Order: sequence, then C-alpha cells, then structure tokens
Amino acid sequence: MKISLNKIKQYAKIPPEVSDQALVDLIGSRLVEVEEVIDLAPAYQNIFIVKVMKAAPIEGTHLHLCEIDAGAQNANFDQLENGLVQVVCGAPNVRAGMLAVWIAPGAIVPETYGGENFKIGARKLCGYMSNGMLAGADELGFSDEHKAIAEIDPSEARPGDSFAEVFGLNDIILDVENKSLTHRPDCFGLIGFAREVAGILGQKFDEPEIYRSLEVKLQNPEKLKLAVKIEDTKLCPRYSCAVFDLQEQKPSKYLTKQVIFLNKAGMRAISPMVDLTNILMLETGQPLHAFDYDKLVTVGGGSNAQIIVRAAEEGERLQLLDGKTIECTPDDILITSDNVPVALAGAMGGKNTEIDASTKRVVLESATFSLYHLRKTQMAHGIFSEAITRFTKGQPAAQALAVLKAALDEMGAKAIAVIDEYPQPEPKITVETDLKAINGLLGTEYSLKIVVDTLENVGFEVKIDGKMASKAIQDLSDEFAPQNTVPPQSEARGSQKAEIEVLSPLWRTDIHIEEDIIEEVGRLLGYDNIVPDLPKRPFLEAKIDPILKLKDQLRNILSDKLDMHEVLTYSFVSRRLLQQVEQNPEESYKIINSISPELQCFRQQIVPSLLSKVRENLKAGYHDFAFYELNQVTSRKLGLSDDGVPEMQDHLGIVMLADFYHLKAKVLEMLKAELGVKVEYNVLAPGSKIAQEYPYLEPGRAIEVRVNGCSAGACGEVEKSVRRSLKITEMITAAELNLPIILDAPIIKKHDIVVSRYPAVERDLTLRVGADAPFGRFYERINQVMQAEPETIFKLEPLSIYQAEADSATKNLSFRLKFSDLRKTLAPDEISGIMERIIKEIRLAGAEVI
Amino acid sequence: MLELEQWKKELKQLNQQYAKIRELPPEERSEFGRKLNAQKQQILAKIKAVQLDDAEPAVEPIDISAPCAPNEPIPRIARGTRHPLMVELQNVMQIYQEMGFDVMESRQLDDEFHMFESLNFPPGHPARDGYDTFRTEEGFIPPAHTSTMQHRILKRYRAHLEEGGQISVVVPGRVFRNEDADATHEHTFYQCEGVFVSKDATMGQMLGVLKHFFEAYYGQQLRIKTQPGYFPFTEPSCELLIEKPAALGGKGGDWLEMLGCGMIHPNVLKMAGIDPKEHHGFAWGGGIDRLAMLKYGLVDVRYFESAKLSFLEEF
Repeated sequence: MKISLNKIKQYAKIPPEVSDQALVDLIGSRLVEVEEVIDLAPAYQNIFIVKVMKAAPIEGTHLHLCEIDAGAQNANFDQLENGLVQVVCGAPNVRAGMLAVWIAPGAIVPETYGGENFKIGARKLCGYMSNGMLAGADELGFSDEHKAIAEIDPSEARPGDSFAEVFGLNDIILDVENKSLTHRPDCFGLIGFAREVAGILGQKFDEPEIYRSLEVKLQNPEKLKLAVKIEDTKLCPRYSCAVFDLQEQKPSKYLTKQVIFLNKAGMRAISPMVDLTNILMLETGQPLHAFDYDKLVTVGGGSNAQIIVRAAEEGERLQLLDGKTIECTPDDILITSDNVPVALAGAMGGKNTEIDASTKRVVLESATFSLYHLRKTQMAHGIFSEAITRFTKGQPAAQALAVLKAALDEMGAKAIAVIDEYPQPEPKITVETDLKAINGLLGTEYSLKIVVDTLENVGFEVKIDGKMASKAIQDLSDEFAPQNTVPPQSEARGSQKAEIEVLSPLWRTDIHIEEDIIEEVGRLLGYDNIVPDLPKRPFLEAKIDPILKLKDQLRNILSDKLDMHEVLTYSFVSRRLLQQVEQNPEESYKIINSISPELQCFRQQIVPSLLSKVRENLKAGYHDFAFYELNQVTSRKLGLSDDGVPEMQDHLGIVMLADFYHLKAKVLEMLKAELGVKVEYNVLAPGSKIAQEYPYLEPGRAIEVRVNGCSAGACGEVEKSVRRSLKITEMITAAELNLPIILDAPIIKKHDIVVSRYPAVERDLTLRVGADAPFGRFYERINQVMQAEPETIFKLEPLSIYQAEADSATKNLSFRLKFSDLRKTLAPDEISGIMERIIKEIRLAGAEVI
Repeated sequence: MLELEQWKKELKQLNQQYAKIRELPPEERSEFGRKLNAQKQQILAKIKAVQLDDAEPAVEPIDISAPCAPNEPIPRIARGTRHPLMVELQNVMQIYQEMGFDVMESRQLDDEFHMFESLNFPPGHPARDGYDTFRTEEGFIPPAHTSTMQHRILKRYRAHLEEGGQISVVVPGRVFRNEDADATHEHTFYQCEGVFVSKDATMGQMLGVLKHFFEAYYGQQLRIKTQPGYFPFTEPSCELLIEKPAALGGKGGDWLEMLGCGMIHPNVLKMAGIDPKEHHGFAWGGGIDRLAMLKYGLVDVRYFESAKLSFLEEF
C-alpha cells in the first residue's frame, strides 16, 4: 500500500522537530514495515506552470510554435526578445491563453524518472528552437494515455509557479507491507493510518468530521422505489445505498489535485464520480460501488426495484465490468437485482449495470462483506483491486453509512432514496485490564497516566475503576499527594490494581481481549523502549533430542573422517524418479498442489534423491565422490503416529562412485568402529522381501545391514537397469539406513583395554585358496587361533586378494599378523610355534601356504 | 673412526684364528669353521655399517613448494564436507542449548490442526493463505513454519510447568512453502522455532534472549530493534532486526530482519491446557538459510538443495 506522507501530515500534526526521516523510522518501528521510501521531489524539479501566450501552427507539420510565459522563471532560460520562451509543441490542444506544464531545459521527464532519467534540453525541431517541452499527463507520470498536454485550472496556479509545489509533489511516498496490517482494516484508510501516526507521536488525534460520530442518520426521501434484502448477515453485515440523479459526467479538462492524489496511491483517474469514491476509499478504507439504477431495475425484471445480497450458486455466470465472464462458486457473494446477478460483491460490478453516458440515476453502494468469502473470491477469480484488498481486511460495518453520506455531500448529490440494512449493529467492545497485567506482559514500568493517554490518543475511551480516566487519575494523584513520602514511581505501583476499562472505537474490529490492549500500549509507546532482560533459569542441563545428537555424530564420521560430502535434496520427488528406482509411487504421500510434477511425491527413502543428483555431478567433472544426506522420510506403509499424522523416519542415505567393497568398508567403519554398535550382514537375496525394500540395489551384489539383531537398512551396488534409466554408466553403490534402529542399539563398550610392554612381531602370510572360497573362512580361522593364544594381543589385517585371471581356479589371500605377548619378548621358537598352529589350521580349511 | 679401527683389529684377530682349524680333530673342524664364519660376518656387517654412516652425504634439501618428494605419492587430505546449512543449524542449536533450551526437531508432514488451528488461526481465515501451504491427498501439510511444533511442546512440557518449572525449547526443522524458487526464494528451507513459558515471562525477556542469542552467534555486542508484525499466534507480535554485525561487513546503521516473534497468544496456551492467567510465554521463529546466506555472502538460495559438489566443496 502506498501512503503519501503529505496526506498523513494533513491529518496528524507532526511537530516541526520531527524530521521526515525520523517520522518514517517511527512508522517503521511502531506501526508497519516500510518496504520502500520514495521521494517524489527529485522527479519534479524544474517543472513550472506556464501560460501559453502564442501558439502558431508550423506549416506542413502537426506542430505549433509556442511562446510561453514562465513568470519569473523566464529570465533563467533562453528568452525571446519579448521576454518569453519559445517551445515547439505537437499536442493538438495547445492554444494561446491556456495554463500548461513546462518541463524546462535540464529537467528530467518525470515519466522516465528512476528509469532512463531522460533529460530534456533545448533543441531544434523543424528548424525552430524548442526549449524544454510542454508536458502531457502521461509525461508527468499520471496517465497511460498520450493524447494532449495537461491544462491547469487558472484558479489553482500562476505562471512561474513550481508544478511540484502547486500539486503537492514535494512528497514522500511510503510503500508499506500490507501483511503486518492484516488485522487492521482501519489502517487501510489514510485517516486511520494518520491516527496511528499521531498515536506513536504521543498526540491526541484530531478526528476529521466523518469519524467524530459514525452513527449518522440518513432520511429516506422515498421518492423512488428501492428495497434491500440481505439473505445472510454473515455474508453481508451491512448494506447501505443511496439513489441520486447523476449530474453531468464530463471529466474536468484540467489536471486536478484529485488525479494526482490517486496517482500517488498507485491508482489512475477514471471519471469524476469514480475518482471521488476512490478517494473516499483511500481515506476511509471503505470501498463504494455505483450501479446504473435504471439498468438495475430492468435487469431484475423491471417490476421490483429490489437488491438481494446472497451467496452465489455453483456455476452461476456474470459478465464483469472488465468484460470477462466468470463462473461463480458457492463461496462468492452476489449483489442481485431481484435475484439476477449485477455484481460480484466486493470484487467488481457487472457489465449489465455499468454507468455510461446514458446513465441518469445512480445507486451508490456502501456495504461490508465477509472477508472469508471475499478472500476466496479473490483467489478464485484472480481479482486484486485496491477495493478487495481493503474488504479482505474486514472493513468495519459501523462506518459504511457515514462514508456513503460523505460521498453524497462531496458530490453535492441529493438522495432520492436511501436504504441502510444493518440488522445486527456491531456493539462497541469493552475490554478490562489493569496496569499490572500490562507492565507484567511487556516487562515495563509504564504509569497509569501514560497508558491512558496512549489509548485515548487513538480513540479508545478509558475508565478507571468505573470513572472516566482523566478524573480517576486526578483522584489517584490527590490520594498520594498529601503523604509526600511516596517516591515518584509509586504513582504506577499504587494504581497497579486499578481496573482499567477500555472501550474500543467502532472502527477497531481487532480489539477483543486484554492482550489486544497490551499490544496497543506496547506498540504505540515503542517495543524498542522495553529494556531487554533475561529470564531466570534453574541450574539444569538442557537436553538435545538423541536423534539430533546421532545425526551430528554421523556428520562427524562421514564428513570429517570418511571423506564424504553432505548434501540436502528436496523432500518431494517425481513419480518418474520413483519409477526409475523401481519404488511404488502409490506408497508415497502425494502433494495435490505441487509446484511441478518433479515435486509431487513425498520421498520414501533418501537414496533415490541422491541417485538423481549423480549424473549432474559426473557431468560437472566429478568422477570419484561419495555423498550422503540425513533427513526425514515416510511412506503410507508406515501408517500414522499417535497424534494422527504420518509416522516419519530419520534416514541416512549414501551414494558412492565405487564398488560394493569400498562402500561396505565405509559403512562398517561408521557403524562398528565409530558408533560401536553390533553389526551383522547377509547377502540381499534376489526376490527376498528385504530386497524389495531396496529395489534399486542389485540383489546378490548388496547386503542387508542388521544392527543389534534388527534390519537397519541395506547397501550395495545399484542395479544396472536403474543406472541405465538414470543415464549413469559408472559403477555406483548406495546405502540406506534407518537411524532409529541404530539409535536404539546398545553401544558395545570397549573395556579391559590392555597394551603390551614388549615388542610386537609382524608376519605376513599368503594363502592360495580356491577361487570360490570365501575370504572370511580363512580370516576367521586365523582369528580363532590367535584368540586361543594365552596372554597374547594381536591384530589381523587383510593385505590383498590376488587372482591372476577371472577364470583362474585359485586366488591368493595375503594377511598381515601383528602380535605380542603381555609377559615377555617372544622368542623365535615361540613365534614359529604360533605360526605353525595358524598354518596347520589354515591347511585344514583347505588353503595352501605360499 | 676409532670404532672402525677397533672392528678392523677384531677382524684381524679373527682371521688369525682360521689357522687353528688344522690343529683340530676333523669332526670338530666344520663346527668351528661355522662359528668363525658367523662371527666374521657379524664383524664385516658392523664395519660396513660404520663405513656407510661415514659415507652419508649432507641433509638432502626439500622443495617447500612441492606437494611431495619425487616418486612419492601426493599426500591426500580428506575433503569431506558438511552442508553449510547443517553447520549453521548446529551452531544455532548449540548456542540455544547452552542458554538452557532443550532441542528437538520438527516433523516434515503435519496436519491442519498443528499448522493452523492450534495456533489460533480461525478456520478459513485469510491469514492461512499467507503461508502458501502444500497439501497431500489426505489433507496433511508439509509444515510452512516450525511453529507447528508449539502445541506439541506446550503439551509435552505442561506437567513440568505445573510443577513450577519453565518451558524452554527450540525446534529446528525443514519447512515448505508453495512458491516458485528463485535466487531469494526456496520452497524448501530451514527454520528454528523457540518457545519459552513461565509464570512471569515478559516481552523484555524475549528481547533479551534474542539479543543475547545473536550476540553469541556473531560474537559481538549488537543493537536490536523491532517492527510491528502480525501473527495470529502471538500478541503482541513483532519482527526483530539486528544491526548488521561487523563479521558481515556491517558499519553501523544497516539493519537486518532476522525473525518474527511475540508473546504467545492466550488462545494458544489455552488450547494446550495452560492457563494464560497463570503463565505467559514468548515464541519466535527465524530462517537458517538466511543466516548461512549472510555468512557466506551467497546470492542464490537454490544452491543449498542442489547437491552440487562444486558448491559444497567450497565449505
């Protein structure tokens, strides 16, 4: 919303010591977020009101050679002998005697200000010197039409006057964020906004005429038939309207202050009547709408002049003023003429009752509608006008008739019929609070007087212990005065318990509870004046959710020790990806309003998301990487949790450009060595139930990982068909692990750690075994022998597996053994004894020692 | 040198002993010879070792600009990385935990009740539109803010509150908004929620806690200010701004909008079974992405969820 600071200053008296910058800062900190501050003045420098003294056609062109009088400004420019300035003008309406707007040489054409900043100069046109230009409303930035030059009412200005000064363009426009005023319909009117500005400056707002009493009465002259029926007051709490004879609709030939005011608010001029209602809307927040009375009656069948406000029926059609025909939903509210739709309430009028040149009588509507419904209308039909923006904040019904009356007065129109349907007038709301509650919630020490003043400044009526506030405060201070021993701040303390009764003004639809009042006090006096404090807390440790702790631990291991990159990917994946990795899309929760088909399904596992990121990284030149993600997943299969929402699981997904063994090494290192949980693993058998859980893994080339006896996930090579569909030619492996299983597993504690004081012996051992013989068989045998050795500590490390050809009958397994005795240095015969026991056992297992 | 002379002398004596072989009976000669040979080999080895030591050239120079010695493998430094957002999240959680806030994570699928109703959004209220929520076929909602956890926290810690304790919890989590992604908007991002409830919580305490948090996070004293805001679940509500810290190139006078906050609305407390006459609370929520963007001077928020190694390697 655009707010003119000049307009605010017109309603609220800004003390001279408050600079514009200070005022903008105050508004930003106590009323609404200011998104942009636009200083208009620089755009209108060196633009003057001039009188055209002579306008002679230049033969063979559409141009006129003009001599203009810019009053005292003439002397600053290239003057003709007669003291005037010469300008060439192409507008058809230029004529001697008119007042026009002159953009003098050196000035920027306002329309281009902030963009190309086109600076006008003195240049020759058709051989004639033209100094600057005579401007049209479009060039001045107030119209989209390029037709004629702007003409100025001679009663408004004199030649040589600054254009900006005459039209109030030395102004600052605040573009404020509407969202933070969602609950403040009153602030969507400039008067309401100005009232708040007065409030934050600590001044009593001087209410303009219309707000001194909203409870106006309008006599119905009943010179014409008209009835209004509201079917449901929830949809339409109040419907007021007046019929009057339309005076001549000729737009003023002058560029008026009204037009410029509308422009400053981001609106365009349309016709005198519409402009007037729009200006009233900008000032009060109450939108108005005009119908052609005679069309209205005809559309409704001609017999009953009756307006019925009702909910639309599904599919009901109405052509709107912009020419578009809409199909209504039952959430829309319709204004009908005896049930025939004539307007989409709050949004736009119908074509069938449009005001045009033939209009003789007008029905002017001032009504309020359910903001809930209008919000839906806005969304369903994509209408985002200034009017509906205000309606959807919930304009107070209390002011509808007062604004209608103001409109009639401004137009000088005499109503020939007036209807005000307001079946259940909104009462004024009273809220009770006390000083203790206010200071207690804010953490302040405001006195009763300052609280009362703050509230009264913006229109609240305040009673203390049942008496009008001013009187009550006087009584309270009298009570304390004679004792004289009371320190000054006790004025506040003494009246902590005083019951404060706050009667909210009719335009404040947002005040319902004590906290609403506390917010007003805190905000108007400035949250920034609250002294920051810290709560006291007991000496107890704060706890972190164990799953968060585990995730941090895993990041330490995977990123810092195992050389992997942590990534994040979206929780939503495409149906297509699920199909590519052979997961069932039906098991995913589906997003019905997804941004794109790429983001339609909530992911069931992490790995598919990671797989979808492999190709891109390969193409970026990475050929040896491992990445992982820790995040939540879910699927319909998991069911719902106790509070009726989908059960979520924290998973770890890893994808690595390496073969099975490299991934296995990292997964085992992470689980066994780093986390210290008990791990077992089985080959993922083709067709097994567990293999179906990880359909993207190649059965037979992957393992199920079991932690503490529970299935915790799987890891292995990614199926060829999956790789093919993801266009990955490289070998990739993946692991998906369920974190709660790992979290629940007991940690195998290392204890009785012993270190030998004696030298360790190192022996390498190479075995020739059958190509099909599993490595583990020999590893385990050696392990067993070593474990049986008394008082010996040992380490067994695989060194290599060598197989000459893929079809060789044998392979060589090499191990490195390191052992030491806890009691002594091992003698050569003792060493050979151990080695012999190992060799004997290995030979039994079918290996040849080489 | 002396050592070498000594060994040479011993070798000479040993050689002389070979002459004795002839004097021995034939069956002892081979045993005697083997022993002499073994001793001779030992002495020769010692002599060689001493000579080698002497022949050692001066210390070989190193090329300090080279990554490794010639013919040696280049030492590989592990290049694993943590995601910058997760690093910031961890930093944030740690500060709050040290300040006395329990930490728990928010869930990534929730419902209408936790997203809106429990937070005092009346049914059909336009304020709901402002959150641009996604929805599943079943009507579940990937939460648009971490405030979805407020009701759960209040209920979970209610007994503790009634025993005279306080509620102090922060909730980091992933949130979602149905808006098109561009350089400054993401439909998926991270927030951290905070909730504090006690018998005498004040807005002053809220400002104090948040000021302290940002001072700890940026490691310097900071000025804070507020601007009024509107959230149905807090009242009063405001946005907190901090003066741009020196670490981010702030020179004073620039302000950064950091989070939304306010005193918990009495209806929110009531709905969780907490008497708003007995207890007050404050809550806040702010984006983690923004902290990371500011810290690293990032211009495009979309990198975070891109899984591009070329981006992640920078951290």
